[in-house]
Formats: sequence, C-alpha cells, structure tokens
Amino acid sequence: MAGDATSKALQQVPYQDSNPPPVKKKRNLPGTPDPDAEVIALSPKTLLATNRFLCEICGKGFQRDQNLQLHRRGHNLPWKLKQRSTKEPRKRVYVCPEKSCVHHHPSRALGDLTGIKKHFCRKHGEKKWKCDKCSKRYAVQSDWKAHMKTCGTREYRCDCGTLFSRRDSFITHRAFCDALAEETARLSAAASGISCVTSVGVGGGYHLAAGGPMRSSNLVQHLSSIFKPVGPAGAESTVDHGGLSLWAAGQGPQGSDVSVGNHTGLSDLHPLGALHGSANLFGDPFASCLNPQQLDYQLSCVYGNKVSPSSSGDLTGPSAFSSAGCMKEASGASHNLPAVSVPSLYSTQHQQPSLPAPDMSATALLQKAAQIGVASSEVVPSFLGSLDPKCSSGLQAGEGSGKYDSFFALNPTAFSAGFSPNSINDVPFLNQLQIFSARQHVPQNQKDDAEGGQTRDFLGVGVGVQGLCPPSIHGWI
Amino acid sequence: MNMHNLRQLQLHSQASSSHPPDPGDTSAAAAGRWAAKLLRECAAAVAEKDSARIHHLLWMLNELASPYGDREQRLASHFLQALFCRATDSGDRCLRTLTSVAERSRSFESTRRVMLRFQEASPWATFGHVAANGAILEAMEGEPKLHIIDISNTYCTQWPTLLEALATRSDEAPHLRLTVVVTTGAGDSVVREIGRRMERFARLMGVPFEFCMVGALPRLAELREEALKLREDEAVAVNCLGALRRVSTDERGAFVAMLRSLQPKVVTVVEEEADFSAGAGDDFAGCFDECLRFYTLFFEMLEESFAATSNERLALERECARALVGVLACDGDDGAAGGDSERRERATQWCERLVQAFSPAEFSDDVVDDVRALLKRYPAGWSLLPARAEVPGLYLTWKEEPVVWASAWKM
Repeated sequence: MAGDATSKALQQVPYQDSNPPPVKKKRNLPGTPDPDAEVIALSPKTLLATNRFLCEICGKGFQRDQNLQLHRRGHNLPWKLKQRSTKEPRKRVYVCPEKSCVHHHPSRALGDLTGIKKHFCRKHGEKKWKCDKCSKRYAVQSDWKAHMKTCGTREYRCDCGTLFSRRDSFITHRAFCDALAEETARLSAAASGISCVTSVGVGGGYHLAAGGPMRSSNLVQHLSSIFKPVGPAGAESTVDHGGLSLWAAGQGPQGSDVSVGNHTGLSDLHPLGALHGSANLFGDPFASCLNPQQLDYQLSCVYGNKVSPSSSGDLTGPSAFSSAGCMKEASGASHNLPAVSVPSLYSTQHQQPSLPAPDMSATALLQKAAQIGVASSEVVPSFLGSLDPKCSSGLQAGEGSGKYDSFFALNPTAFSAGFSPNSINDVPFLNQLQIFSARQHVPQNQKDDAEGGQTRDFLGVGVGVQGLCPPSIHGWI
Repeated sequence: MNMHNLRQLQLHSQASSSHPPDPGDTSAAAAGRWAAKLLRECAAAVAEKDSARIHHLLWMLNELASPYGDREQRLASHFLQALFCRATDSGDRCLRTLTSVAERSRSFESTRRVMLRFQEASPWATFGHVAANGAILEAMEGEPKLHIIDISNTYCTQWPTLLEALATRSDEAPHLRLTVVVTTGAGDSVVREIGRRMERFARLMGVPFEFCMVGALPRLAELREEALKLREDEAVAVNCLGALRRVSTDERGAFVAMLRSLQPKVVTVVEEEADFSAGAGDDFAGCFDECLRFYTLFFEMLEESFAATSNERLALERECARALVGVLACDGDDGAAGGDSERRERATQWCERLVQAFSPAEFSDDVVDDVRALLKRYPAGWSLLPARAEVPGLYLTWKEEPVVWASAWKM
C-alpha cells in the first residue's frame, strides 16, 4: 500500500457555499484526501514513536523534523549534506493501521502526519493521561492539557433554564426534566408533519432521513450543506416553512431571499451557534422518524463526545453543551413565529397541566386515617408552620404540652395503670402533630414545582442563597 | 433532670448550632447533644419497663422535640415517636398509617424533587450510583444486549449517567433492557412515569432501550426468577442499592441464592453501614444505641447539606422516622405493615451472606478514580475508604465515619 501511486482517494466534492459562515480556515473535510496523493501506511510502532526523526550523525531522536534540522546544523556538515533531498514534494496522505478503523481505507486517509499520529493515539492508543477533577482519560498529552484548562469551568444549561456546574447532575436532571418530556412530545408531533416535506430537502442536509449510519464527518458535511443557498424559490418556500421554522430566524414562508436571509441571520449569530442550532434540528425534530443509530451520531454532535477533535473542525467538545444554550439563543432571539414551538418549549412551567396535588391537608389526612376512601384534596404540606425559631419555640412553650395533650391529660395515670393505646383515639403522632401545625399553615406556593426547578420556601421566596443560586450550584459550593 | 435544666440545655444547643462551640467549652459541646442523653435514658427505661420513668422522659422529650427545629430537636422528635409506639405497643398500627400516608402523598414530582436535590447536596446516594455504574459498565464491556435488574431505592436516578456512558463509550451503543422491581410501597404509577422518562431520555441518547416493571410485589423476598422474564441472549446485571436490607432477615439467604439463579455477570450491592439486625425484641438497648448512632450521623449530614427549612430534608427525615418505627417498635421482621423491613446490616455481615453465592469483583482503579472525582464536587467532609482484606468494596465516609458501603460481585 505504501507508495502505491495508483491508490486514488475517492472523489468527494465538499459542498461549497457562496455564503459561507465565517470559518477560520478553509480545509478539506477530514478523511477526504486529495485523489492524487500518495498513500502511506505506517506501522503502529512508527505512529506511536515519539522521536521519529533521527540524526544520522549521532543518532539522537527528535519529535519534529524542524528540530532535527536545527540539530544537524550543529554538526557543521559540509554544504552538500546540509541540503534536503531535492525530490519534489509529493502530497502524502496516511492511513490508519487499525483494520477496523474508518481511516484504514485509502479513501478516508488523513492528510497530515501529525494528524494520523494523533488519531491513532487517541482512538487506538492507551489513555495514560487523566483529569483528576472529572477523571476523564486521554491518550494525547496535549488533549489532556487542553481539557484541564476548561474542566470545571463550564456550565450546562437545561432547556428549562436551570444552570448546572456539574455534568453528572445536568445529565440526571435532563433525563427527568419536564422540558425534555414536552420537547420530545411536541417535536415528534411536528416531525410527522415535516418529514415528508423535508425529504425533498434543502441541499443534502435532509438526506439524513434516508437510511445509512452516519459518520461524524458526513454529518459535518451535511451541516455545511444547510447553508447552501436554496434553488428555485417555489419549492423551498414550503420546505423552509416546514423545516426551518423550528429553529430558524422566524421568518414566514416567503421565498428564497428570505430563506437566504434566514441562513445569514443564523450564521451571523455565532458560527458555532449556527452549526449547533442545526445539530439540534437533526437531533430533535426527527426524533421519531430516524433510527436510533443516526440520532446517536447527530446527538453526538450536540454532546460533542463521539466527534473526535481532529476530524470535525468546529464541532469540538468544549462547545458541545452550549448547543442547548445556543439553540435557545438562536430561536429565542429571532423568533417571531405565531406557531406553538418556542413558547411552549421555554415556558413549560407556565403551561404545566396542574397535576393532582401530591400532599394532603392535615384535616384530610386525619379523616383518611379514620375512614378509608376519602378523596384527597388540595396540597398543603402540613409542616409549613414554624419558619422562624421564635415561632417554633413558641409552639413548644404554648402548645408543646398540647401535642400529646390528649394522651397525657386524658390518662394521667395511663403509664402506671398500664398502657392503653385507645387513649389517643388511634390517631398516630404524626397526625396529631399535623393538626397543630395546620393552625399555622401558609397556603403553599403552587408554583413550587414549576419554577425552573427551584424550590421555594414556605413563604414563597427563595431560601436565602438558594433562592438566588440555582439548586445545582448550591451543591457545588 | 428537671425542665429548667433542660430548657437551658436546649438554648445552649440552639446557640451552639449557629456558633460552633470552641473546643475548650466542653459543657456547651456536651449540652449540644441533649437529645442523645435523654433518648438513651428513655430507651433504658423502656427496656426495663419502668412505667413512671418512661412517662416522665417521654413527657420531657415531647416538650423539647420538634420536627422543624434544629438537629437535636428533630432527632428527639422522631425517636420519641418510635419510643412512644414501643411503649404503647402500637408500632405496627403506627407504621401502617405512616406508610399509607407517605404512599398517598407521593407523586412523581415530589419523588423527583427529593431525590435530585438530595443527590445535589450530598454524595450519600450518588456514591453508590457511580461505583455501581462503573462496575456494571466494565463487566458488560462488549456485550451487545444488556439486561439490568434494578432492585433499588434510586427511582432510576442512577441510570441517566449510565445511559450517557453507554452512548458515548463505544461507537455502537448496546441494547439495554431495564427491569425495575417495585415493592408496593414505592408506587406503581410513579415508577411508570419514571419509566416513560427513561425511555425518552434513552432515545435522546441514542441507546436502544426497553423498560420493564415488576410491580405488585408485597414483599421483596417474594421476587422470583419467572417474574423477570429473562432472555437467552442478554447479559444480566443485578443492581441492589439499598435493597437487601428490605428483605426480612431470615429470608436473606434464600434471596441471595435466587439472585445467583439469574446467572448475572455482575451484582452490585450498596448498603448503609449500620447493624439493626439484632432486632428490638432481643436487645432493645443495643439496637437503640446503634439506631441512635447511625441516625445522628444521617441527621447531622442532612443538617449540613440542606437549609433548615428545606422541604426535601423534612421528607427524608420523615422517611427515617418511619424506618425507626419499623425497627424499634415492630417485632415482626417482615415489616409487619405488610411492606419491607429496614433492618440494615454492616458490610461484614452482608459479605458473609454474599460469599455463599458469589465472589467479590473488585472495583477497578478507574472506577475508584471516578468516585474520588465525584467526592471532589461536593463540600468537604466526605472521603473514601478502600476495601480491607476481609471486606471487598469501598466505603464512603462522613467525617471519618464509614456510612455507605459499595461492592460488586460476580459468579
């Protein structure tokens, strides 16, 4: 395989924009090499070796060719030997020696020696470097260093608005969050309407709906195709309305210039944000019509985990979780659709159907204890009574003796006579307690559950610092 | 001890809870623990069946206790209830009522809120989650179809991070079937809603997922292999977090044997480190002391992790109160209220049972590192104690006291 000039890379034409999002550097997409390049297959040992460049004079090894050249000058070689070979530099691409790897095939070779080395090390190498904060493991030291800079500094925002400093709490919260439930319910309803329309597709982007597992690089490719200007006005006006209304700047179904306006509007917001917005587009609206495999890859963009840093340019890890936030910005900022989408997504709290009250009033509990089958009434957790210490000690001073009053008063000699359970009328302590506390109860703040996940105290305000900081950060401090 | 002294004690303790007493001030420090003293005296009186003394002490405790006060008052209040039930022989009835009240007031919302906030504030629960998930992931590496049998008190809060790990670890996420075993106390409807959320989340993660529920089990000990509907091609993991203690003491051996019959690749066991197995019937004072030790730690931990007015803290404390009534005031080990007992055992005792059917699977260094990293995200006071020779697994310690034990087992 090495030096085989006839192994041509597969022809792949990356989509070119006329209105490209402002990217830093124009690159070929990863793993889509120049068809005329020479394919080199290096061995694992070579790839992992750190000092590949050897000085022929003294045998000293160097990581980089430049360093070796600098070193060679020190040997005071005669002029002729100092020169490099005059062979015309031929473009080289490298394949991964790991047979099961995507980049093993010449059509998916990587163009850069450093790139293939890093790829091999990351993907197939031993992960020797470990972050001690979150214990994430890395094979490449530079990756580890980069991670250490950002670890613990990132914040995660859920669709419901709660902010998290810890990734694990974010994930757990997300799984149980009502925003997730609403979002997937709404979007799966919407998707069934959109799916047939968008298969016509803007560029190649919507071809996701048609089969085949996605590779991350393909995904990048398709995403860039979103920004391809659309063709004839008539066709995509419908498409735009259907497909883009969920996340685009909320222009109506007006035609190509508007849709182009959509694109630039979005891309102006933030280059990464735009990409992430569309990543979410794939992630959510098609939730019901794509198979889990594809969803997996698409959402890997959202979470930024599977997409290896070397191959997907803009879609790197650190910005992954901001995608949720970016999407929010993207649609929230420019949204003016009359449709249901955003309002219901971001104000789930106000639209929550009122659930049957979880707790019962003290009186109701008491009745229940006495007779079976009493219907439950509205929520009042009976322990609302004593908020300040004065109040609680007041309770004790004034009424403490009253808590078990019935027991002690009715049967002052109960203990000496032997215990008689009937003296308290079969009402357990808890209910007795609740009877007294009920006297002082404050009507519960009904929005307790719905305020972006924050718990309110009895008076309906945040509890000191907790009211100001989201619950998640409290656990972190 | 008269009421005047007690009032002073109480004021002292209220003051000292807001200003930590300086080390030289031993009287204040001692006064800070008035509940323990009183409670022990009362327990002794109950053991001796000294009616007058019992009456006197119960009355005093009643004066001072409050479920809304400081830690001492709360401890006093909940232990008072258990002692009262013991003294009046009303434990079973009381437990039944408490349990049904709790069941009726439980909802998906309230359960979620309490669990998630507790996990935010303290690693008490999440310690077990991280250790167990780590062991499960490593044992199931490479398996295309997983079946996790979840017999736990986690209400599935353990699984989102596992699902995320499954989705990101390998290119091809395995198929996961999750069977949650519910005992009637846990609330079928709540678990069903949780199941729906898990399904949605798994879809978001891109993990092929199936949720099953084994409900309507009056007691955990009645779980049988047939109910789990095992499939040939699945690799089984059994997750017992806070579960084994719910099996009545004399049925635990059989339960472990039943678990072995499922042929699991890994069994994760997480339990709290306390010994209530003696039973209040045989050695009331001893059992009481152990309860007091353990719950004092737990209440202290809650006090430091939550605000004083936290609803979630109150809910957790009420759960403890129920458990106390069950352990101290009910003699039937099967939790005569028709539910499960809460007779915890220590790691050494669990190990004696588990080695009959399994051999220890040590946590790998990576998993231990993960747990360490977890503890770093919480406030100070928490630490890790690795396994000793006789006892495999890991301990979570709170102020140097081991409180939770996590372990993994294989066939």
